[in-house]
Amino acid sequence: MKRFGVLLCAAMLAGAARYETSGPDTEAFTQSIEGLDGEHAASFRKGSGIFRQAWVIGPSQDHPDFIGLGPLYNRLSCIACHVKNGRGAAPDSENGVARTMAARLSVEGKDAHGGPRVHPEYGAQLNPEGVPGVAGEGQAVVAYAEFDVAFSDGATVRLRRPTLSFRNLAYGPLKPETKTSLRNAPPVFGLGLLEAVTESEILAGAGRPNFVFSVETGQRRLGRFGLKANQPNLRQQIANAFVEDIGVTSSLFPVENCPPSQSECHRGASTPELTDAQLDAAVTYIRALAPPARRNLEDPRVKDGEVLFHEIGCSNCHRDALHVADFSLQPALNGVEIHPYTDLLLHDMGDGLADGREDFEAGPRDWRTPPLWGLGLAGKGGDGADFLHDGRARTPAEAILWHGGEAQSSADAFRNLPELQRDALLAFLNSL
Amino acid sequence: MIRAVAVAAFASLFSILGAAQSGASDNESVVVVTSFPEELTTRYEREFERRHPQSHVRFIWKQSRDALAELAKPEQGGADVYWAPAPANFALLRERGAFRKISVDRAALPGRLGQQQLSDPAGLYEAYDVAGYGIVANPSALAAAGLSAPRRWRDLASPEYARQLALPIASKVGFSPALYDILLQSEGWDAGWRLLSEMAGEATLLDSGFAPTASVREGKAALALTIDFFAEIAKANGAAVEMIYPQRTAFLPAHVAMTAASQHVAGAQAFIDFLLSTDGQRLMMERDSRRHPARPDVYQSASPDFANPFTLPASTILDYDWEIGRRRPPLIALLFDLAIVEDHAESAELWRKIHDAEKKFAGNAKAMTALGEAKRLAGFIPVSESDAGTRTFLERYARRDAIDPQQIAQWREEIGAARRQARDLIKSLEPAP
Repeated sequence: MKRFGVLLCAAMLAGAARYETSGPDTEAFTQSIEGLDGEHAASFRKGSGIFRQAWVIGPSQDHPDFIGLGPLYNRLSCIACHVKNGRGAAPDSENGVARTMAARLSVEGKDAHGGPRVHPEYGAQLNPEGVPGVAGEGQAVVAYAEFDVAFSDGATVRLRRPTLSFRNLAYGPLKPETKTSLRNAPPVFGLGLLEAVTESEILAGAGRPNFVFSVETGQRRLGRFGLKANQPNLRQQIANAFVEDIGVTSSLFPVENCPPSQSECHRGASTPELTDAQLDAAVTYIRALAPPARRNLEDPRVKDGEVLFHEIGCSNCHRDALHVADFSLQPALNGVEIHPYTDLLLHDMGDGLADGREDFEAGPRDWRTPPLWGLGLAGKGGDGADFLHDGRARTPAEAILWHGGEAQSSADAFRNLPELQRDALLAFLNSL
Repeated sequence: MIRAVAVAAFASLFSILGAAQSGASDNESVVVVTSFPEELTTRYEREFERRHPQSHVRFIWKQSRDALAELAKPEQGGADVYWAPAPANFALLRERGAFRKISVDRAALPGRLGQQQLSDPAGLYEAYDVAGYGIVANPSALAAAGLSAPRRWRDLASPEYARQLALPIASKVGFSPALYDILLQSEGWDAGWRLLSEMAGEATLLDSGFAPTASVREGKAALALTIDFFAEIAKANGAAVEMIYPQRTAFLPAHVAMTAASQHVAGAQAFIDFLLSTDGQRLMMERDSRRHPARPDVYQSASPDFANPFTLPASTILDYDWEIGRRRPPLIALLFDLAIVEDHAESAELWRKIHDAEKKFAGNAKAMTALGEAKRLAGFIPVSESDAGTRTFLERYARRDAIDPQQIAQWREEIGAARRQARDLIKSLEPAP
C-alpha cells in the first residue's frame, strides 16, 4: 500500500510525461521516448547508426570502427533481422531459409553457469556465414505442415506447424539428440521501460521467474529479456546478440563465437571489437525506443475486446499494467504506469509450442510472455508480421489458437466465442 | 608503358581464371561485394533465392576504398559480383581489367540518361539505378517563412533561404562530395565555391547522411541539400517533405558488374539479371529504399509523385563531366573542410556583415562594387578551375593522408587572408569615426 502511494505520487509529479509515440505507422517502432536530454539524444542517434551499421571484415579504411564481423555470423547488422525494429519474417515457402531467425543449439546438460550446454561442433546457434577461410555452418530451413482448427461455431482457421531441418552443414550432421530451438527476431522497442520495472513487481505476477547468469556480476539474477527470459538486462542481451549473431566481441563477451571443434574459427583475433562506448550507445538506443501509442480507443469493439481479454484470462499472463521505477534516460517517467501486456515471466505453453530445450530455469515447454504493445502495427513498416517465438502464426488469431499448457483455457475460451466477440478481441489486440 | 603492361596482365589473369570456370550451374553460392544497406540487400537476397531456391547469395559489405582493396586480392577475394553506388570505382576497376562482359537487354536498359552515359559502352558494367541530387524541403516551413520553393542552386545564396538551410559536411557524408561537385560543375568552379560559402555562412552543417533530411523532417531546417532517396524514404514514411531537383543537377548511377575472376559465372549472371529485371528494379522503389531504377519501363508502376529522371525537363539535367567528377571528390572534401567547416562561425559573421552592408549601401555603385569584391574574397578557394579540372593535379589529392601538410596549411592561410581582406573592405565602407 505504501509502495502504491509512492508510485502514485511519482506519477502525479511526472505530469504529462509520455512513454509512447504517435508517429506515422510506418515509423512507429523507430522513435525515441520524448524529452531525452542532449547527451542521451546524441547517444540515441549514435546507437541508431550502430544498430544499422553493417560490420566488416578488417582491415578497413572506410569503417575502421566497425571491424570485427565473424568469424561466424548470421547477418552483418542488427537491423537485418530486427526489421524496422520490429519482428523478423517467417521463411518463404519456396526455399524455407530462416533469414531473420536464429536456430539455437545445445546438447543434454548444463554449462558451468546453469545455461544450456552448447553444441560441441556448432556452438550456441547455427551461423550460416563465415569469413574467408571459415566455412559457414549451414542453413536452417523451415517447412510447414498446415492443418485446420475449428471454432465452436464451425468457422475454421488454418494453422501451420513448422519443422526445422538443416542443409549444407559444414561440420558434419547434427546428432539426433541435439536440442534445437528456432527463434524469430523479436521487436526491440519499449525494452528500456521493461528494464525499469522492479523485480518485486515482476515477481508478484502469476508466472515463474527464470533466474539466469549475470556475466557482469557473476551472480544469479532475474531474467527478463529473450524469448525464454534468459538474459538479465539489456546490456547483456545486446552484447550477447552482437557476439552470437554478428560475431562481434565486446568487453562483456570477449571470446569469439567459435565452437570448440572448429579450428579455423579459432585462428582469428578476438580482442573486443565493439567498444564500450559503442555498446553504451547501442544500449541507450534500445533503452530509449518508445512503444507506439494505442489507437481506436473509443471503438466499441475495442472496448468490448478489452473486457473479453480479461474475462477469458489473457491478462493473467499478459499483464496490462506495470510501473516504471527508475528510468534514468527520462526520470519524468519514474512511477508512470505502462501497458506492455506482459508479466516478463515464464509459462508452460504446452506441447504444441514446446521446443524441448531448457534454458537456465526455463523448461522445454516454457516461454516468457511476450509484450503485446505495438501488436496492431506489426508489418505496417515493412517489419515482419509473423507471431510466436518461431513466426509460425500469421495472425494474432492463429497465435491464440496455438496457446496450450497454462494458457489452454484461454485458447479454448477464444475458440468458443461467437464470431462477433472473437472479432472484438482481435480488434482490441489490433489497437495495441 | 609499365602501367599498360600491368593492366593487361591483370586482365589476362582474370580472363584465364574466368574462362576455366565458366558454365557454372545454378546450384551455387554467389558472392556479392556491395555497399548498399543490408535492409536493401536482404530484400534482393530473399527475392533472388525465392526464384533460385538452390542458390545462395552472400554479401561482403565494403565501401569505396575497402571494395577496391577487396577486389584487388588474389582471385578478387572470391567475389563474383560488384554492386555499389561507386561510379569512380567501376571506372577504375574497368581500367584494371577487373570485370568481364555481361549481357543486358539494351532495349529495356538504355544505359543512358539524356546525353549522359550511365553504363559502360563496352558492356563491362551496367547502371543499376540513378540517384538525384538536390534539395529536401519542408513546404509548410517554407510557407510559414513566406518563401517559395527554390528552383536553382543559386537561389540558396539568399540569406532568407540560407538561414533555413542545412548542409552535409563533405568529408563526413559519403554522398556529399558528388553533390557539391554537381553544384560546382553547374555554377562554375569559382562562382560555385562562392555560392557554397555564402549559403553555408548562415546554414547548419551536419555530419551524417540522413541528418539533412532528418533536420528538415523535424523542423530544425526548412531546406537541406541531399541525395534524393533519403528525402523520398522520409516522404514515403509519412514525413511532410518534398524533394526538389534544382535546374542543372545530375543523376549519378550505381552499377553492377561481374568480376573477371568469378568462379560462379552462371549464378553471377543470374543475380545480375535479377537486379536489372522488372521485378528487381521495382524492389528498389519500395518504401524504405526509394531509389530510381535505371530501367525506364518500371516507372509505370511508381507512385505519381515519384520523379522519373528519364522524363524530367532537359533543363533539370546537367551535362555532367564524369571524367572530372570521378576524380574530384577527395579534393572537394578537403577544400570544404578548409573553406566551409573550419572557422564556420567567423565565416558566418563575415557573410552577415556583407549582407547587412548590401542592404545599407543598396544603390551606391561604388560600395556595391567593393562588396562584390568582398564576396569574391569571402568565398575564395585557393585552387584554380584549371587545376581542379586536371587529372594529374586531382590524382595528387586523391588521398588526404598523402597530402603535404604544408600545402594544406598554405591553403588555410590563403583562405584566411582573403577573409581578412574582405573584412577590411567592408570596414572601409563605414565612415571614419
